[in-house]
Amino acid sequence: MLVLDHVGKTYSNRVRALHDVSLEVEPGEIAVIIGGSGCGKSTLLRLVCGLDQPTQGAVVLDGATITEPQEKIGIVFQEPRLLPWLSVADNVGFGLAHRRPAERNQRVATALDRVGLSDKARMWPRELSGGQAQRAAIARALITRPEVMLLDEPFSALDAFTRIDLQDHLLDLWADAKPTLVVVTHDVDEAIVLADRVIVMSPRPGRVFAEVETDLPRPRDRQSAAFDFAKRRVMAALDRSLDRAVTTDDRETRATAGAALWW
Amino acid sequence: MSPADVTVSAEQRSVRTEQTPLQRDPLERFGRLFLGLVLPLVLALLWETAVRHGLSNGRLVPPPSVIFQTFVDLARTGELQRHVLVTTGRVAAGFGIGVVAGTLAGAIAGYSALTRRLLDPTLQALRAIPSIAWVPLFVLWFGIFESSKITLIAVGVFFPVYLGVMGAILSVDRKLVEVGRVFRLSAIAMVWRILLPAVLPSYVIALRSGLGLGWMFVVAAELLGASEGLGYLLIDGQQLGKPAEIVAAIVAFAIIGKLSDWIIVIATAPLLRWEDAFAARN
Repeated sequence: MLVLDHVGKTYSNRVRALHDVSLEVEPGEIAVIIGGSGCGKSTLLRLVCGLDQPTQGAVVLDGATITEPQEKIGIVFQEPRLLPWLSVADNVGFGLAHRRPAERNQRVATALDRVGLSDKARMWPRELSGGQAQRAAIARALITRPEVMLLDEPFSALDAFTRIDLQDHLLDLWADAKPTLVVVTHDVDEAIVLADRVIVMSPRPGRVFAEVETDLPRPRDRQSAAFDFAKRRVMAALDRSLDRAVTTDDRETRATAGAALWW
Repeated sequence: MSPADVTVSAEQRSVRTEQTPLQRDPLERFGRLFLGLVLPLVLALLWETAVRHGLSNGRLVPPPSVIFQTFVDLARTGELQRHVLVTTGRVAAGFGIGVVAGTLAGAIAGYSALTRRLLDPTLQALRAIPSIAWVPLFVLWFGIFESSKITLIAVGVFFPVYLGVMGAILSVDRKLVEVGRVFRLSAIAMVWRILLPAVLPSYVIALRSGLGLGWMFVVAAELLGASEGLGYLLIDGQQLGKPAEIVAAIVAFAIIGKLSDWIIVIATAPLLRWEDAFAARN
């Protein structure tokens, strides 16, 4: 289990990015963190994967405090961050360098096949489209079979069709080994499609504002009324997190208008 | 600014322009190339004609035909090959040492801030010394034979390589370094798998600058005392009043200098195929 125990982060320029964030994520759960800009979503992920250290509290995975990057934790950044001098296959196999070549090749081939990039194995990263590159990045993170996979606005730079495609694809990949997913996003639809639980954060300093359970059956129909209802609950929480109070009678209209402004 | 600096930046400029071949039809490309040859060819032809018609005796500035003849004669006796070999050997040895030292120092200083603060000020101070100024000291330390010459060349090669590697490492994309950290690379693996490949394009430019300086310094070293080598041929031509021999040696320098630069470019091209740069768009 991934536990954030009263985590705070103050940067050396005295900006308080996070304040007293406590969170427990069950193994295999998909937790989506959403919030306005400056609410410390990305900082939170960097603390969880050990790239940065919290200034208060601790991040604990299966009883061990995380102070540096772990094999158990994989991360996909907002940009694919593929190494431009390695082929797509070598990028995907980057974390398997210590394995025997035969095993590595076999696992890379499987992973590439799983993300639909088998025919791109020998290409350079620059020859991939944005969506393909991000799929390669996901494959690179998953190939070491992490227990926890962190995704930092992974699809935000992609067009709407590719984004929907990759959201479904991610869920499909998740179903293979059911790692814990912690996804940061600012896209409410994406949150509802992916999440078991949506964690709404509020800014300055970043803290957990509300949690919304989204226990809709999977696969989720983006057009269904239940989906719409969950979305409205998240949007209302987002509105409140930014101090845009809504009254009961005009919640629906205000929530929609506010949602366009919240980020 | 030392003369070395000027050469480095000029070298880098020429590197950049060379890397942008223009995709045009062959005839036009040939035309452009030819346009550049017009001036030297016309001048050479004019001088040749002037000497032939007795307008000048061509003793101090020999006409192209005489230079060519001298060149061929030197090559036929094996004299030229011997000098070229000796000079190339010196440059190769000095370049090798300078590159290894410059790369190691640059990589360490680029990677570790502590080492950089410790090492860089001293090296920058040493760099400010025109390297030729070391010659008397090197002669005292290493004698008048090969060691002092090779040391001088190595010192000349060291600085552009050191600066190039360190600067390139400092400017490696933090985001790619984080990928290495996420995969828990050791310090050595980080250098080998992330930093070195990332700096390779700038490294090639540093090597080429270093090689250019290597050729410059071998001339300096050989002018100051040698019994063999192209630099000796230059001095020999001066002392015996044979300008054609001097020009022939200069031509030989131009040819092997360009050739060695070209070897670096060809040898590293397969390592740089991944580059998604302005120059690689063809």
